[in-house]
Amino acid sequence: MRVAVQRWAAWANGVEGESGWRVWARRPEAPIPGDPPDVSFLPALQRRRCDALARAMLYVAHECCPDESIASLPTVFASRHGPIATTVTLLHDLAEQRPVSPTRFSHSVHNTPAGLFSIWSGNRQPSTSVSARQESFVQGYVEALCTLHRRAARRVLFVTGDEPIPEELAALHDEGAGGYAVALLLSRDEGDAIRLARRPDEAGQPVSRAWPDALEFVRWWLSDEPTLAIAHGGIRWTWERGAEPSAS
Amino acid sequence: MTRSAPHPPCALAELGVVTALGVSIEETWPRLVAGDQSRFVERDDLSPGVVRRFGAVVADLPAVPASLRHLACRNNELALAAYQQIAGGVDAARRRFGDHRIGVVVGTSTSGIASAERAFRERAQTGRLSADFDLAQMEHGGLPEFLTLLAGVRGPHYAIATACSAGAKALVSARALLELDLCDAVIAGGVDSLCQLTARGFGALQSIATGITNPMSRNRDGLTLGEGAALFLVTRDGDGIQLLGAGESSDAHHMSAPDPAGGGAESCMRAALADARLAPEAIAYLNLHGTGTPQNDAVESKAVERVFGHGLACSSTKPLVGHLLGASGAVEAAFCWMLLARRDGDAMAVPPHRWDGATDPELAALELAKPGTRVAAPLPVAVMSTSFGFGGSNCALVLGDARP
Repeated sequence: MRVAVQRWAAWANGVEGESGWRVWARRPEAPIPGDPPDVSFLPALQRRRCDALARAMLYVAHECCPDESIASLPTVFASRHGPIATTVTLLHDLAEQRPVSPTRFSHSVHNTPAGLFSIWSGNRQPSTSVSARQESFVQGYVEALCTLHRRAARRVLFVTGDEPIPEELAALHDEGAGGYAVALLLSRDEGDAIRLARRPDEAGQPVSRAWPDALEFVRWWLSDEPTLAIAHGGIRWTWERGAEPSAS
Repeated sequence: MTRSAPHPPCALAELGVVTALGVSIEETWPRLVAGDQSRFVERDDLSPGVVRRFGAVVADLPAVPASLRHLACRNNELALAAYQQIAGGVDAARRRFGDHRIGVVVGTSTSGIASAERAFRERAQTGRLSADFDLAQMEHGGLPEFLTLLAGVRGPHYAIATACSAGAKALVSARALLELDLCDAVIAGGVDSLCQLTARGFGALQSIATGITNPMSRNRDGLTLGEGAALFLVTRDGDGIQLLGAGESSDAHHMSAPDPAGGGAESCMRAALADARLAPEAIAYLNLHGTGTPQNDAVESKAVERVFGHGLACSSTKPLVGHLLGASGAVEAAFCWMLLARRDGDAMAVPPHRWDGATDPELAALELAKPGTRVAAPLPVAVMSTSFGFGGSNCALVLGDARP
């Protein structure tokens, strides 16, 4: 199956647009927690329903797909923690036996950004939300390939990101602080071809980076390096640009 | 007339299941076809001060191995109890294909959030989260990580987190992983566990039934929560019960209420039939989403009528085990698997729809299966299960069997 990156968009606090990301890619660093992006394209009521994660994910989805095609694309949303700030607020409410807000509860499900995206854009296509601990970007990309494979889908919008981890849980967290989102419009027809291969690699150690895998992908995509390798759990994942499809 | 199937074979080769009805297929099946509602238990700890019935698993569950202590939570204990039933099949697949060719895709909505609830209660009293709490217990991704480590496999592994459609969608992703040749076998299903978050959250939405859920009745007043797990080993075998088709859609309407027009529910059922290359008449039984909330049943009954007309035997099995949220799609597929597996000649017993029998004139009239119902099951036999979730996430599965 030929796969190409037709468009992409990314957001982190203080990094603006493609030129901003080109600057960032030359000297990459961890996202700095800060205010979520401006989502003034959303109606006011929907904007109020969006937490930091939904704002970041809808922002990059909109940047990546500014036209009406956004309503007709199947989607995959990948996030390690989902709406974790809302969940932690609910955990405090439960621990202190306070009333639970029904709206807060219904916006605590992991697929909240996907649901809000679908409602805002009027998108009725299949949508999947996935989570896979430190591997959420890589495994989400696999699910995006699964979605492309489904017979009718020529394109898929893959959106990944995490909001800053609440301070109550920060000591237990083993990754960077969060506060970023990336969208990739993957196509079987148009764009720059890309191939993902995976192979067992017992010696492959995960490389410790200050920024998440999704931003490492953006850094690589903006570089002239031919391949990107990311290792997790005894598997080496290798992206190669310009590659035509192999058997699998 | 059915055309040749567009998908290569996708077998649901092994099944492990744990619900309030039992901790094995053998224990579950007789209670399922009898419509046994005696398994619910009353609890007041999940919504403090409010007594409600829950489809709790009361049997002792296996302990999470010490080496996976950071993943020790009730959700993973339920997963382990289901996994043990398919461990032999997984071991054989791992030896045959290699550990990196076995994937794990599992749906959950709660993950082990009950462990986080305990940790935050302790924090409210002592200022510190409990020492045995690990973030992995409340992460959705903790479930596939647990099963991956337990099974000793290295294929693609992730949680589907689309609320109440997750367990069904996990089977669809498993099929795609096989068709993309990223895996040779996939452990797929769903796991969910009782917790305060869902008991009080659905309580706040006024969606919890005062008694046992009573779907499609004019007296229905909400859902009953349950817990459990269903795990399949999904393979390319041409023999055995097959995943014949799947359909998915989004409502694009509301975070916690279905689209009253039911377009998303209808389109996922039609897409599943088209994917399976089957006409509506080819479906012998429909396992409803049937939550017993006023909105769901109104929307669902009309969507079912539009797709299938009248006469298709239907039931919701939530009055037997409760609503298992992120596991419900997998568990209800497991019930469909069981009735296909326990066919008797050209006939098939189906789970009865347990309710008070009070027809709601506002709903489309469905053929709700009475106790003792057996349906004709001419070959190849096919059944459907539907799941509709928060965020407007819908999925319908068609399971079938061509074997005499």
